[in-house]
Amino acid sequence: MKEEFRSWIMGESDPMEELLDFSQENDLNREERRKLTVEKLRVLQEDPDEQQKVARVRGRFTRFYYLVAVLSCVFLSCVLLFSISMLPQYGEENPRTTEVKDRYIEKGVEETGAVNVVSGMILDYRAFDTLGESHVLFTALICVMILLRIDRKNQRTGYEDYYTIRSDVYYDLSKDSILCTMSRVLLPAIVLYGIYILLNGQNSPGGGFSAGAVLGAGMILFSAAFGMQTADRFFTMKACKVTIFVSLAFYSFAKGYVFFMGANGFENHIPKGTPGAILSGGMILPLDIAVGCVVSVTMFGFYSLFRRGSIGMDVDYAHYSSKPGKAKGGRQV
Amino acid sequence: MSEWIRFWVVAVLLCIGVICYAVEVVGIFRFGYVLNRMHASGIGDTMGLLFIVLSLMIASGLNLNTLKILLLIIFMWLTSPTSTHFLSMVEMRTNPHLDRYVSRRKAP
Repeated sequence: MKEEFRSWIMGESDPMEELLDFSQENDLNREERRKLTVEKLRVLQEDPDEQQKVARVRGRFTRFYYLVAVLSCVFLSCVLLFSISMLPQYGEENPRTTEVKDRYIEKGVEETGAVNVVSGMILDYRAFDTLGESHVLFTALICVMILLRIDRKNQRTGYEDYYTIRSDVYYDLSKDSILCTMSRVLLPAIVLYGIYILLNGQNSPGGGFSAGAVLGAGMILFSAAFGMQTADRFFTMKACKVTIFVSLAFYSFAKGYVFFMGANGFENHIPKGTPGAILSGGMILPLDIAVGCVVSVTMFGFYSLFRRGSIGMDVDYAHYSSKPGKAKGGRQV
Repeated sequence: MSEWIRFWVVAVLLCIGVICYAVEVVGIFRFGYVLNRMHASGIGDTMGLLFIVLSLMIASGLNLNTLKILLLIIFMWLTSPTSTHFLSMVEMRTNPHLDRYVSRRKAP
């Protein structure tokens, strides 16, 4: 029992393997899978009993499905209509919402030191919310990594190897002369623009999220134009880890410090600077940079993981691919 | 008088741009194959954009906004053909029934 549990935790065996029959089929390659499907359909067509059984189950399920769909739709509509009836009339002053909004607009510049009220809101008044958002991005990156990353445990599964699979090399359009030339022209402008809206987030529209998106898109363009191997030189797994950890830890500590030393209009000793200058807004600029780092790394990490299943060349591929089928822990076919 | 001339120039250029976009939209919806559609969309992406942006530049006069609009057209003219080039490359490489749509010379 204990041994079974341990092997399940380590990913060596699957207790559901016998019960769910798709686990074996999915290991086959496309041609064999198609043959199996054709075979199944043929058997089904020749056997009237089997056909009847399938039709009965399917009919029952369809009826159940319709029932649940209608019920859930009616329930959801009732809930939504009920909550709509609680809203204030259109055009009527709603003191609960206008109070906060007026306060932000009137006192925002004075209290946060940021000319851009949105930046002041998301990184000063509601900085805790933004911290949660950055952690959501981080969690999303971790989940994609869990699902898609190819490491030494699952890199040789016999049916897929992203470094030898034909399509990835065949459809790889990097080192194309048109794209390379265009990227040489455009990349400096894109990166410069990203840095500008990152550093100027407290004074003009922009800030961490949009700047991170621009920088991440620039990195994606770079790796698409000059090849993943070129991007690996600066964006490794270690760089990704360090950047995200340092950014999130800095954000947490800096904002926690601000919270404890007096936030939201209380006196604190962090200088606000003159509104409109680059170094204004107290902690808004460093927090913006942290958020921008997290967003850009997350975007490029998504691209890299979806493209080839790894961030940087973090596994010695040459060593492992020289011994096919010998990778430890992966399911053998 | 000069305001009047400027208004008419702007209006005529804007109309030409809108006609280009109309041709593009008709082409995109009437053509059946992706490369034909790309050919149609190229009209709007180059000529339509050029005429509309030109008319807007004339309308705004000589100031910083004109420069920004000029940057817009430069950026669009650099990026749009690149992405179109890549779409067509992907189509050429991945479509197994390419010969039904495209007549190619045989490689020697």
